[in-house]
Amino acid sequence: MKILIISSLIMACCLSSCVKLDRTPQGIIFSDQLNSPENIDKMVTAAYSALGNDNGFDSYTGLWALGDIRAGDAYKGGDGVGDQDYLNDFEVFQERPDNRTVGNVWVALYTAIGRVDDALARLDAVTEDKFPLKLERQAEMRFLRGHFYFLLKIYYNHIPWFDETVPVESRDSISNKSLSDDALWGKIADDFKFAADNLPGDQTDVGRPTKWAAKAYLAKTLLYEAYKQNDQYQVTSIDQSLLAQVVSLCDEVIQSTKYALSQDFAYNFLTEDENGPESIFAIQFSKDDGTPQGRLDWGHYLDYPMNPEYGCCAFHAPSQNLVNAFRTDKNGLPMFDEFNKVDVGLNDFKTYTFDPRLDHTVAIPGHPYKYEPYFVFQKSWDRSPQIYGYFLSMKETVAADDPSFQKTPPFMSSSKNQDILRYDDILLWKAEALIELGRQDEALPIINKIRTRTANSTGLLKQEDGSYTSNYKIGTYQPGVNCVWTQDFARKALRWERRLEFAMEGFRFFDLVRWGITPDYVNTYIAEESSKRQYLVGVHFQAGKFEYMPIPISQIDYSKGALIQNAGY
Amino acid sequence: MKKNLSFQGRYPSLWLDLPILIFRAMRITVFLVLVCVVNLYATGYSQNVQLNLSLDNVKLSKVFEVIQAQTQYQFIYNDENVNKAPLVSLSVREATVPKVLELCFKNSSLTYRIVKDVVVVLPKENAPPRLNYTVPFLSPQFIVRGKVTNKDGDPLIGVSITAIRMRTGTTTDDHGNYTLALPSADDTLLFSIIGYKKQEVPIRGDSLINLAMQVSISSLNQLVVTGYEKELKKDLTGAVSIVDVNAIKNIPAGNPLKAMQGRVPGVYIQTDGFPMGGATVRIRGVGTLGNNDPLYVIDGIPTEDPLGIFNPSDIESIQVLKDASSATIYGSRAGNGVIIITTKHAKTGTHINVSSSLSLQRYNGRSTVLNTIQRGKVYWQAAINSGIDPNSTNIYQFDWADNNGKPVLNKVILPDFIDVDKTMKPANTDWWKEMTQTSVIQKTNVTLSNGGEKGSALLSLNYYNNKGIVKSTFQNKFNIRLNSDYSFFNKRLTVGENFAADYIKGSTVNPGDILFAAEVEEPIVPVHTVDGGWGGPASGMTDRQNPMRLIADNRQNKVNTVSIFGNVYANLEIIPHLTLRTSLGVDGGLLYQRLLQKSYVSGFLNDPSNQVNTTENNNINISWQNTLTYKLNVARNDFTFLLGQAELYSAYGNFWASRRGYALETIDYGYLDAGTTNKDNGGSGGGYSLLSYFGKVNYSLDSKYLASVTVRRDGSSRFGQGNRFGVFPAFSLGWRLSQENFIKKSLPVISDLKLRFGWGQTGNQSIADNATYTIYSAIYGTDPTWGYEQGSAYDITGAGSGQLPSGYTRLQQGNESLKWETTTESNWGIDFGFFQNKLSGSLDYFIKKTTDILIRPPKPAVEGQGASEWVNGASMENKGWEFLLSYEADISPDISFQATGNIATYRNKVVYLPDDVLSAYPGNGLDKTILGHPINSYFGYVTDGLFTSQNEIDNAATQVGEGLGRIRYEDLSNDGKIDIDDQDYIGVADPKFTYGLNLSLTYKNLDFSCFFQGVQGNDVYNGNKVYTDFASIWPGVNWGLRTLDAWSADNPKSTIPALTLIDNNNESRSSTYFVEKGSYFKLRNVEIGYDLSKALKVKRIQSARVYFQGNNIFRVKSKSFSGPDPETPNNGYPIPTVYTLGLNLSIY
Repeated sequence: MKILIISSLIMACCLSSCVKLDRTPQGIIFSDQLNSPENIDKMVTAAYSALGNDNGFDSYTGLWALGDIRAGDAYKGGDGVGDQDYLNDFEVFQERPDNRTVGNVWVALYTAIGRVDDALARLDAVTEDKFPLKLERQAEMRFLRGHFYFLLKIYYNHIPWFDETVPVESRDSISNKSLSDDALWGKIADDFKFAADNLPGDQTDVGRPTKWAAKAYLAKTLLYEAYKQNDQYQVTSIDQSLLAQVVSLCDEVIQSTKYALSQDFAYNFLTEDENGPESIFAIQFSKDDGTPQGRLDWGHYLDYPMNPEYGCCAFHAPSQNLVNAFRTDKNGLPMFDEFNKVDVGLNDFKTYTFDPRLDHTVAIPGHPYKYEPYFVFQKSWDRSPQIYGYFLSMKETVAADDPSFQKTPPFMSSSKNQDILRYDDILLWKAEALIELGRQDEALPIINKIRTRTANSTGLLKQEDGSYTSNYKIGTYQPGVNCVWTQDFARKALRWERRLEFAMEGFRFFDLVRWGITPDYVNTYIAEESSKRQYLVGVHFQAGKFEYMPIPISQIDYSKGALIQNAGY
Repeated sequence: MKKNLSFQGRYPSLWLDLPILIFRAMRITVFLVLVCVVNLYATGYSQNVQLNLSLDNVKLSKVFEVIQAQTQYQFIYNDENVNKAPLVSLSVREATVPKVLELCFKNSSLTYRIVKDVVVVLPKENAPPRLNYTVPFLSPQFIVRGKVTNKDGDPLIGVSITAIRMRTGTTTDDHGNYTLALPSADDTLLFSIIGYKKQEVPIRGDSLINLAMQVSISSLNQLVVTGYEKELKKDLTGAVSIVDVNAIKNIPAGNPLKAMQGRVPGVYIQTDGFPMGGATVRIRGVGTLGNNDPLYVIDGIPTEDPLGIFNPSDIESIQVLKDASSATIYGSRAGNGVIIITTKHAKTGTHINVSSSLSLQRYNGRSTVLNTIQRGKVYWQAAINSGIDPNSTNIYQFDWADNNGKPVLNKVILPDFIDVDKTMKPANTDWWKEMTQTSVIQKTNVTLSNGGEKGSALLSLNYYNNKGIVKSTFQNKFNIRLNSDYSFFNKRLTVGENFAADYIKGSTVNPGDILFAAEVEEPIVPVHTVDGGWGGPASGMTDRQNPMRLIADNRQNKVNTVSIFGNVYANLEIIPHLTLRTSLGVDGGLLYQRLLQKSYVSGFLNDPSNQVNTTENNNINISWQNTLTYKLNVARNDFTFLLGQAELYSAYGNFWASRRGYALETIDYGYLDAGTTNKDNGGSGGGYSLLSYFGKVNYSLDSKYLASVTVRRDGSSRFGQGNRFGVFPAFSLGWRLSQENFIKKSLPVISDLKLRFGWGQTGNQSIADNATYTIYSAIYGTDPTWGYEQGSAYDITGAGSGQLPSGYTRLQQGNESLKWETTTESNWGIDFGFFQNKLSGSLDYFIKKTTDILIRPPKPAVEGQGASEWVNGASMENKGWEFLLSYEADISPDISFQATGNIATYRNKVVYLPDDVLSAYPGNGLDKTILGHPINSYFGYVTDGLFTSQNEIDNAATQVGEGLGRIRYEDLSNDGKIDIDDQDYIGVADPKFTYGLNLSLTYKNLDFSCFFQGVQGNDVYNGNKVYTDFASIWPGVNWGLRTLDAWSADNPKSTIPALTLIDNNNESRSSTYFVEKGSYFKLRNVEIGYDLSKALKVKRIQSARVYFQGNNIFRVKSKSFSGPDPETPNNGYPIPTVYTLGLNLSIY
């Protein structure tokens, strides 16, 4: 019996147990521990980080896949059409609601907005006593939010919009159709207005937007809003008062004298000149910064050629059509109607005349790569010339010996910044607004200013022997001398200027959609280009559909009916 | 006559003086011969013992019992004779044993002789003076004796022991002891008892022969570990499978699970040939959406670790608890079934077992790819078909002509060098051949054990070295085990331990990268450049690495793990039948690896930087379990009560650090300190706890009506305050029809028949430790090479480099209401045996429903980063049956035959998922959802052959990219065009059924066995066809030989799409073109063995078995599967053919 008692005691002791079911979570922090001013500022940094958390397969800020290969400026490139076939879907207009990039870009942008709203909600709650920078930081966050919503708007058109005051758990019930086109643009504009009203004119931290950056982005927003679209994405009217606002906002930025055109167009694409006079707002990339691979320009890491100095992957190849567009006539003006009648071959660059921006933009066999006379692009640097020809894109890359260059095998990139707002862009928005306002004469000097700068940007376009790489000839528009400067002609000139100035920078498709000319333009391009590129045979741009990407199928499912698919998909 | 001769009790010493007694039995008649008696009254302690006895009219045998109980005297007698003897009455004080015996035998027809402490009782007429001396009896005589146990060391009662030559015999007593007197040591003992395999043991002069008998597969008296207790197989009421450990012990897989493949119905095991690889084990299908691994209980200690670290030679038994009624006792974590493993313990006596084997392994079937010229030809044809100038490529040039519209290829022209730098000459590399090798597996195990009355110990040492068939892959393993126990207080207290330590060294290389590179790297690429550097892709080729460089540059990198696993326990018999057991278990591991990533140049791929990354992980699980068992027998009712408590503390931590900038790229130099740049590091930790209480009652009436009830209450730290505990009940019923008289009498052919039903619930808590909390984390930066950067750092100052400001990001939303996922399972079973269990088997049917499945579904993007949360949000159902049939027969005394077959099947379906997560699973998320379909379903387009004429194209639905020789997709939606709506469910990865068949044959000392295994009716998504069948989807790779047989007007029967360089038809889309039948039938194992011990006649060698074994030597696959082996599709690590020569030596 004694032993029974002892064992009962042992048993009782056992049942009392030594293990605790309360285990403190390890290595994490709770939300309410992040509301100190110091931590709120860190949440602001985390939101900034979202500007550059990109990836080349599904780039949401790199723009090239969504902006160039849908616009006739570029082929997807890489190892044939099957290499990242979901990107090929954009080039051959087969993107579907279950396309990988369609889904990932949506997630990436709302992730960014989530970070912004998280920071904003904490900023709203803190007092200015505790955190004197409150208002300024709120303005920065709203600038970022405007940027991310702007991208969503031009990618997907109808999107659910909310701000930080909407509880996280009810955001999934917000419809993408609850705001009209104008209302949505209005919301985006409101963020930039708030930012413009509350940001300083100068920033010590070059990565933060200034008042002028906000005004510039507001101008861009209003310019897009001005082109009124119907349900088939046709432009039905252009809002004159908005255009007028665009002009005055651009003027404010110009008159601030904070910004100017760089002396050489090349400086916009060289690391040593980043954050230069022309850059109004840029994504700040970095390397050797303690992150595993550096915070590089990951959105473009597939775009380097195949030579041993780089190695992969030859995506983002300029189309023959784009290269042809750089040809100039005897006056150094674009060959608006004739440019695509003859294909510029590899041996033709001394035969014809070209806009100098060609050799800033396009890597061509036999031409120096990235302004380095001894570093000549070879045919062997291409990957599948039989499919995509011999040209590659160059603005986003850096020379192999550039300090910002970084290999991240099997890919490579650099810490060279990516401009989001650039002064030449502001000038051309103003010109565009003026032309659509019927004030094309005021636009003429702006366009000519751009062209003059281009004419002066040949200093770095020389070969080993000091001779110019191609035969450059660019002239200014001289009404009555070499052109008749009507509104129509000015519009044509402006649109051409934008194409060459920003070629391969990912803006083109969104310009085309803004102007409402995508179906005709792209289908003409396909008809001509498909005789050179077999995989374009049979491709057709369906008007009223492919102007915008579909809403990702998964997001529609999650929303339980709140998200309505875009027309045509 | 129940017994011929019994020897009651134990001998005190090993040897008796010669010659003493000879017993001889001939069939039924027994006569006992006393040859001569020498030294009848040897001096010794026993003879001086004085007894006080008072007995009244008792049987003579009772007197013997009393004397045996009080002295060391043992009695040998014939039951029949002693029972016939008159009853005895006596009353003595301080009498010696001889004195007492004298009184007992005074008026008896029996007499006795005392030899040392042994009393031999004889009929008086057989007394020595009347004995005829015959030749055999003149040879040296002695007594052989010993103890017969089962493999767990429990005594076996009633084992028949026959001396084959002398045709005499005996049976074991209640303690498993026997003794047999023989005229000659030159004899062989045959041990036999129903339910165990017959075993012959040559005597060879030994007087002590202990034997652990092997259970025959159909034995009903087999003890089965079923969770904190052992039950006889005949009393089982749940679905419990017993693994025939003997059949798998020689398979040189390194991981016992790999060897179990196909042997247990309802246990589906998938594995490959990677030496470091494990096995995926699914018991009764996929039951949940998260972790589907079963729980392993090793010597009573639950663990979730797979058994890669385990030494297969240490395994005594493996049981699988398949249904919930048997698994519930393990409650938490048992929802996917339980695999119970018991390790070996010392048996009585001293034993040394040595087993050693050497295996050669080689690949068995390979991917077939083009050689250099063939690839040129295919490229040319594809370019021609696509309207592309074949000579516009960077590598190949072609001499071809257009003969009246028909292009003809004259010659494939290779360049002098394939790269601009002129370092790589065109080669014809067979990458597969380059990267594979015929390799060796070495295995050696030594087990020393010593078992005695008061304690036993077993020490096992094991070495295993598997050099994989892909170069540089290997596993090296050392295991040590010490299992010991000590008993105190007359065996009322037993204290013991089971302890194993393992050290594993293995390759860190990812074999998938190598195997894939070997398939896609173009043959024209040389292994080395002209100056001895690495060959690699040239312009126009895919960006995959030279596989030989991957092998060479990773050779120095090894992962080292040390793990310990074991427990200490104490069993205390508080009062008879009431036992308290406590067990403290530890399961921990350390991982250390140092990876040197070398700089390299290999074609256009190169990395000028080097890096060393050092990782250390540790984990520890401490479990404490206490149980109280009480066995109660009231009349014909047997009860077992079990009450228990268990707790588990689990914790892990890890860190890694890396640097770059190493002056030397050797592993000896490659320590962190030697790096000069890019210091980086990271680390994390976590853990959880479990606390459980459980009880179980087993009831048996006459061993005929069986019932069992279990309740377990489990608590987990992973759930919110209010939901930590879950209660999991179970019950089971059994009816042994064969014990009923109406069966016994009318159907004697039925030796066993049992109906079973079980119902039970089990729990699952396999979620993140922090699942209930909303958590933020400081993520500075991540590696965005293959996906978006997730970090929060930003270069806000534009410095371009250096330390950046950073913030916090949300990782997860918390869910306070999380609760246990529950699996409810019903099992109907029938066990049967016919013809004295020569033919036996079982059939089980189950329905298993899992509800509140813990999932972390994706959330709408608008909720921002880290919006996802764990929820109890899905249900799934599995139904299936399992059938096992065994036949065993002794065809002649020399030949025995056994056959065991099993077949099993299950059907899985998803019953419920929240609407908003449906699109995360195969389906379109709208009208075609995974609901009602197996979770392992494929979704995609249905192909309808190729377009072979313009007419077909014109009449088919509109399809972007349609053309001659292109895949035609079916217009499932009947809307005249092929689009996203034309997808449907196109296959299921689950097999329709799985089966295995084991045959074994023993002839004298020779044994033979073979094992066939197969799966039938599963669909494999052979995505590898993208490379083997198409020149267009990945133009820069090497393609399969199948492209030579592509469709063309000249080859109109082909089902392989026409060659092209441009895939306008999006033929890589998920479609039935890639779904192939995965059925296979394999000869897994053939083994032939010979026991040399009889031939060797070396003293103390109990057995010396040499064997030759072949694994995976024969394979039948479905014709529709275009790869080499459907078991390892899509470039899985090939399962090699292995030939093994081995020796198992047992010395005592």
